[in-house]
Amino acid sequence: MRNLKSIMVGLMISALSTVAFADGHWSTIKIGTEGAYEPWNFTDSDGNLVGAELDLARDLCARMNAECEFVQQDWDGIIPALVNGKYDVIMAGMSVTEERKKTISFSKAYMTEPARFFALNSSPLSTFSSAKNLNLDDDGDSTSGTISALNNAMKGMNVGVTVATIHEDFANKYLDSNLKVYPTQDEMNLDLAAGRIDAMLCDVGTAEAFMETAGGSDVVTFGPNVFGGLLGEGVGAGIRQGDADLKAMFDKAIADAAADGTISKISMQWFGKDLAP
Amino acid sequence: MFDVFALGPTGWGDEMLMGAVMTVLVSSSSLLLGITLGIVFAACKLSNFFILRAIAEVYTTIIRGIPELLVIYLLFFGGSSAVMYLAKIFGYMGYIELNAFTIGTIAVGAISGAYSTEVIRGAVNSVPKGQFEVGKTLGLSGYSLYGKIIFPQVARIALPGIGNVWQITLKDTALISVTGLVEIMRQSRIAAGSTHEPFIFYTAAIILYLLITRLSNIFFDSAEKKYSKGYVSKEAL
Repeated sequence: MRNLKSIMVGLMISALSTVAFADGHWSTIKIGTEGAYEPWNFTDSDGNLVGAELDLARDLCARMNAECEFVQQDWDGIIPALVNGKYDVIMAGMSVTEERKKTISFSKAYMTEPARFFALNSSPLSTFSSAKNLNLDDDGDSTSGTISALNNAMKGMNVGVTVATIHEDFANKYLDSNLKVYPTQDEMNLDLAAGRIDAMLCDVGTAEAFMETAGGSDVVTFGPNVFGGLLGEGVGAGIRQGDADLKAMFDKAIADAAADGTISKISMQWFGKDLAP
Repeated sequence: MFDVFALGPTGWGDEMLMGAVMTVLVSSSSLLLGITLGIVFAACKLSNFFILRAIAEVYTTIIRGIPELLVIYLLFFGGSSAVMYLAKIFGYMGYIELNAFTIGTIAVGAISGAYSTEVIRGAVNSVPKGQFEVGKTLGLSGYSLYGKIIFPQVARIALPGIGNVWQITLKDTALISVTGLVEIMRQSRIAAGSTHEPFIFYTAAIILYLLITRLSNIFFDSAEKKYSKGYVSKEAL
């Protein structure tokens, strides 16, 4: 009798939940974020979650006709809690990497911090002009044209990269210049400032930090934003591997938000530069 | 520099204080649970039944032998998976959230329970056998024997040890921050990451922890004094 009762209760609950799902499986999307990574996602002094990813998430949810619910989670447990079902999506400044793809899947990237070239302002490279972006996922003429323009400008020059980085991979594959491989960014910064190398290729953020110091005040950036291909995909939304439908919804919403300039607008507002993919 | 700790919407003072309140709440509930578990398992360890002794031995060996963080991960992530698995058997497919406060209290309580067990067992063992025998000879039993004769003596010996367990428990609560419970540690990490001022907020966390331990030491000192009444310490002789 007891068994029968529990089966009945079970059937009732499953019937109820089926109804709920049929009414639009993703009418509410729970988004997990860290809330401590300014300006991506952080907490204001009144305890509210704010940041570029919060604004973006609200916009994406509106495009998907879904209700957004934010859940704060410490970075340490952020992937296990997604897998466990505490929330459905991670938007926490998380780069799409092969390592993480073993556990969860990712939407297409919604923001990328590109790599760029840097030189001294006295160098002829400082006036080099090219297309704004170099997207390695695009095999069109503009990509190969930009790469050969870069190689022409840097012919016979010394170009620095740091060891075992995506930038070293890029330089090995695409550049004809003399490569100098440095163990750390700091050493490369010093050699660029001292004129031992003519240019360096690295992440924008780290180079900008150097440009703000006295030693890096003569450093300028040139050439395109380099991303895609072997440079990785950028920052994307983490989604459980089983939720292919949710991934498809995010991919579409992100593509739309990138196309109509929403991501650029949010990015300019929070980062002061355009990180749109 | 102190502007950042203003109370209200412009500063982090109220958030940090709420974090401290949460730390005190979760550590005192954990300690209460821990002492309860400690009494139960100490009784098991002192019992004549092999099976009870074995269960208590397994508990203290495992909990004291593995990292605290592992216990918390196991209960927080494993706990809700286990509950969801059970629910699935009955056809419920949704996510069941176990409250972070409850899980944290159970995890840290289980840890402090293992240490309390040893403290209480040691304390009971230190009460001379003659005290039990005399009590029984006088016809006392139950509450009058254990509550009036044995407990005050056990308490006197156990209190310094329990004071230690309290401090360990208090610091273990910092580990619960991984579950998203906003106590001192998690709150200072949020504030540090949001303002890029880690030094200020981690220093504030240090001060809050020290304040709590200092205040609780005063409490434990007075409790020790109370239970030492009528007992002449060795130093006094």
